[in-house]
Amino acid sequence: MSAESINIITIDFPDPDHTETIDDSFDRLASNESFEFPVQNIQTLSSKGVERGDDPYGLLYIPALQTDECRDAEKDYVPKNATRLDNLPHDVQYALIAVAPWFSSTCMKEYFATARNEPVKAFIVYQPDPESTATPPETNDKAWAMNDGGSWQYSNQFPTYAVPGASGYLIASQMSNYSGNISTVPHGDSLKQLYPETDYVRLWAKVAADSGTQLPSLWVFLVIVLGLLILIIGATSLCMHVVQRRRRNALRRRVINGEVDLEALGVKRLTVPADYLSELPVFPYLGESDHVEKSMAQASTTADAETSPKGLPLSRRSSAPDAPKSYASAMFAQSTCPICLDDFEPKESQVRELPCRHIFHIDCIDPFLLNNSSLCPICKQSVLPPGYCPSKITNVMVRRERLISRRRAQNAAGHTHSPGNIVARLPGAYDSFRARVGGTTGGRRIFSAPSRTQSRPADIEMSSGTPPVPRAGITAAATTAPEIVAVPQPTQQNGVEECPEPPSDQPQQRREWARQRALALLGNRHGPPGGEEEEQVRSRWRRGLNKIFPGFR
Amino acid sequence: MSASAKKRIMREYGECMTEKPAGMKINFDEQNMTKWEVLMDGPDGSAYAGGHFKLEIVFPNEYPFKPPVVSFRTKIYHPNVSNDDKGSMCLGLLRPDEWKPPNKVVAVLRLIQSLMVEPNIDDAIEPSIGNEYKENRKEFEKNAKDWVKRYAK
Ligand SMILES: [Zn+2]
Ligand SMILES: [Zn+2]
Repeated sequence: MSAESINIITIDFPDPDHTETIDDSFDRLASNESFEFPVQNIQTLSSKGVERGDDPYGLLYIPALQTDECRDAEKDYVPKNATRLDNLPHDVQYALIAVAPWFSSTCMKEYFATARNEPVKAFIVYQPDPESTATPPETNDKAWAMNDGGSWQYSNQFPTYAVPGASGYLIASQMSNYSGNISTVPHGDSLKQLYPETDYVRLWAKVAADSGTQLPSLWVFLVIVLGLLILIIGATSLCMHVVQRRRRNALRRRVINGEVDLEALGVKRLTVPADYLSELPVFPYLGESDHVEKSMAQASTTADAETSPKGLPLSRRSSAPDAPKSYASAMFAQSTCPICLDDFEPKESQVRELPCRHIFHIDCIDPFLLNNSSLCPICKQSVLPPGYCPSKITNVMVRRERLISRRRAQNAAGHTHSPGNIVARLPGAYDSFRARVGGTTGGRRIFSAPSRTQSRPADIEMSSGTPPVPRAGITAAATTAPEIVAVPQPTQQNGVEECPEPPSDQPQQRREWARQRALALLGNRHGPPGGEEEEQVRSRWRRGLNKIFPGFR
Repeated sequence: MSASAKKRIMREYGECMTEKPAGMKINFDEQNMTKWEVLMDGPDGSAYAGGHFKLEIVFPNEYPFKPPVVSFRTKIYHPNVSNDDKGSMCLGLLRPDEWKPPNKVVAVLRLIQSLMVEPNIDDAIEPSIGNEYKENRKEFEKNAKDWVKRYAK
């Protein structure tokens, strides 16, 4: 704390030896019959021991020197009768303010040493030049060099202020006026009328410390602000973690209850865990038996025996591979493995059957389900049971799910007309949304449903489920029959609302129906490549921020 | 690329050879079997008749779980082929979310052929050409033939 001003006044106080009641009270003498002096141009050399709101004050005195050399030298700077400790009452420890000329560093050490043993509240030093009125130089100036590395500032328990030489001499000379008894001080005669003769009349000073430039408390302030900031961040982070955890748990619950299908929503592309995969039935391919041929004839009457297991008798498979009859229906439909295109060897090929009853070579399907997808490659029905929940629900998944549900709610509220129109009108906006949500390629996404007027190559869907037909037949059919099958197969258990049956007559209506249906399925087919990957692409600070504030976007 | 995927590509090439879809020739390099070069004649009766188009079919590592990538190396004026140096095509069964492993290259080739006969306007990658096809068929055919003359002879 630097001093703004030092105010010196003259006071009268009773001699403690001659009064009954000793108190700290004193009388300030009237300014016209005493010395009053506000010291300006003060340089704070040390602000040690000064607290805010606790301005040092005390009786002025010149501390004693120890060596004769210094005492001799002092005579040039201090008037002979200036107030010493001896000129103050002996038995009471009054607050003191020391005054001394800084004429040599050695003698200054002696002054300080004396002052340290006395109840000094502050030390006023003045430069030896009696003409100087300018503010003395700063603490680190060589004028104040003590050759002790500045340690005096730490050993002194009081602040030190430097005043201009002229002010110092004035104070010192006035101190010589006010060191004797009341009759010797200026205006002593009139003072004697007012006060007992035993009273002391002395100079008294109060330092007005400037509260503005308090470096230490500035630091304290900063630390407090920083601490508060950290506290707020910490609390927010904690809250968000808790919220995010709740959301994760809620999402998990909803997934398990079947309210949310992560894959269908495009929240997460699931894969099949190994232990679940091993539970899917494996059995040797049996070939075509009489029974099979019979059911084949039966099935051929149903229009889309092709990829759709629903055209087949839906008796649920028994889990053990020792009931081959129940598989027969699936096997008649597939004589080749759709992945490697090899024919199944009757009784030799080991095939795996998925819940949708499609069969594959074990070697062909297992790596795909383990690493790529949980959907049947043919009909895209999920291999996982409804309510399956991946062991780890990540924040990314929570975020995506919320985003998608919000978007859906918005669409439901804002656009009552068909979502097909939205896509047609705003492909860009929808694109970016999908790119964000699903991580899909930002390519063109105008989803066209096949119309009846349009010819489709028949071969597109022929390979998987159709009973082995002579190849020639297909080639012949290449550019003929328009097909319904190009409409993505509905996956009933995906939580997508069932579309009504197509209005068969008006082509325009049918087209719209197909469009809507295709759109409803759009989200199903394309899970994102995996939330973790996206997480890695994000910049590092972004990830850090997300660690601290999960759920922050 | 896994051995089974290679085996499947080999097998599909064999199938293409035996079936010999009309009006096309496949250049197959056993060293680099994931990239096929197909020379396709413009189908008779279409605006592209008389032209010879070079196509590239690239099989991704995840084949057959992901669709092959088809691109026209010869410039073609067509609503479903991007009008840039890529000449890419992405519709119908070529779209990743519609592709199924049982689909075969033969089907892809036939799809391309049929699209040259009748473009799919709803799925146009070049909407301006698609509009022209829909609204001003004469102009479209003139342009398409013009391009055939310029690039596909
Ligand atoms: Zn296989
Ligand atoms: Zn299936």
